[in-house]
Amino acid sequence: MKQPSSSWKLLILAAVLPILVLVAIDISLDSQSHPESFKRFGNAVITSYVVMGLILVGNLFFYADSRQRPFAPFVGMTVALSIGFAISWALISNDDLLLEANSNLRSQMLSNVVHLLVSGTAMAVASILAIGATFASITGRERRVLFEEE
Amino acid sequence: MLISPLVAERVMNPMLEAAIWFWIPLCSVPLGFWLSVSGKSKSLGNLIAALGLILVMVSSWTVPSSDSTAGGHLILFILAPSLLMSYGIYGMIFGGNVPVGRLDSTSRWSGAVAVIVSLAIFCMMHWYSLTPIWRDGTINPYWIVFWPTFLLFSTSLSSAAAVALVTYGDNRLSESLKLACLSITMTGIALSAMVFDGYHTTAEEFRDYLWLSAADIFGTLVGISLAIGAFAIVIWSYEKSLPIPESSNPPTKEEIKHVVSIAMSHIGGEEE
Repeated sequence: MKQPSSSWKLLILAAVLPILVLVAIDISLDSQSHPESFKRFGNAVITSYVVMGLILVGNLFFYADSRQRPFAPFVGMTVALSIGFAISWALISNDDLLLEANSNLRSQMLSNVVHLLVSGTAMAVASILAIGATFASITGRERRVLFEEE
Repeated sequence: MLISPLVAERVMNPMLEAAIWFWIPLCSVPLGFWLSVSGKSKSLGNLIAALGLILVMVSSWTVPSSDSTAGGHLILFILAPSLLMSYGIYGMIFGGNVPVGRLDSTSRWSGAVAVIVSLAIFCMMHWYSLTPIWRDGTINPYWIVFWPTFLLFSTSLSSAAAVALVTYGDNRLSESLKLACLSITMTGIALSAMVFDGYHTTAEEFRDYLWLSAADIFGTLVGISLAIGAFAIVIWSYEKSLPIPESSNPPTKEEIKHVVSIAMSHIGGEEE
C-alpha cells in the first residue's frame, strides 16, 4: 500500500523540481546572482499575506452569519492583518531593504498590489491550463467494462 | 460674483483620478464577488464585479497618466487568448466521457485546437509583433512579469498533476504521460525564451525576469499560506473558547407522534 506522506512529498517535489531546473539552467547561462529576487520574494510575501488576509476578513462576514455574528474572530483577524500591515510598512520604509525601482513607500505598496494582480492572473491562467488538461485527460479515456454479465 | 470658465476648468488631481478610475473599480471586483457568493444580491454583485473589471481593463485610456493602469491594460490584452483557452479546455473536458452535460465528441478536437491556438497566440505575443504595447510605443512593463510566471507555474502544475495521477490514480499511466508532455512543452517554450530573443524583449531580459518570477511564485504561495494559517488559528481559538452546548431534552410522546405522522404522509403505501 502506498504511504500518504511519501506521496505528498513526491507531489511537492514534482511541483518544485521543474522551477528549480529552469532556474539552474538560467544560472548556468548567465552565471550571475540576482539580488533583486530577494526583494521580490519579500514584497510578494507581505503583499499576498495582506491581500489574502483582507479577502478572509470579508469571508468572516459569511462565517459570522451562521454563528450569531461573533465579534472575537473578526477582531482577531483584524489584529493579524494589522501586524501584516505594520511589518510591510516597517520593511518597505527601511531604506533599501524591500524598495525596488520605486521612489517611496506609497508607490512601492501600490506597485506591489498591481504586481500581485498580474502574477496572480498568470497563475490563474496557468491553473486553468494545467487543471483543465488533467480533467480532459481523465475524461478522454473510454469507459472500461468492470465485469462481464453471465 | 461670476466665476471665470478658465478657473473652473481645473485639471483633476492625478492621484484622485487614478483612485476613481483604477483603484476603486479594482476594489469593487472582490466586493461584487463577495455579494454574489453570499447570495444576498447575486445579480447586483455580478454587475459590480463585471463593471469593476471592465473599468480596470480600460483604465489605461481613462487615466493614462497612472503607471498602475499597465496592469489593467495587460489583462485586457491577454483576455482573448485566455478565454479561447478556457473554451478549449471546456470542450476537451465535456466532449469526453462524462456522465452529465456531455458535448459532441468533435468538441474534444476543436477544444484541443483552441488550446493550441491560444498557446500559439501567447508565443506570438513574445516572438512576434503581438506584444502588448502600452504608451509611447513602449512594451507593457507587466508583460515580462506575466509571461515567465505563466510558463513556470504551468510547468510546475502540469508536472505535479502528472505525478498525482500516477500516485493516486488507478492505471492512469497514459494520462500521466500526456500531462508530462504538456509540462515538457511548457518547459521547452520557457527554454526557447531563455535562448532566443523576443520581438521586443531580449533573452537576457527574460532570464532576469525568470528569477523574479520564481521569487514571485514562492513568495505569493508563502504569503497566502501564512494568511490562511493566521485565519485558521483565529477560528480555532474562537471555537475552542466556546462552551460545550447543553444536551437537549428527549422528545415528548406528542412530538414523536407528530414526527411519525409527517413521515407517514411522505412515505405512504400499504404493507403486503
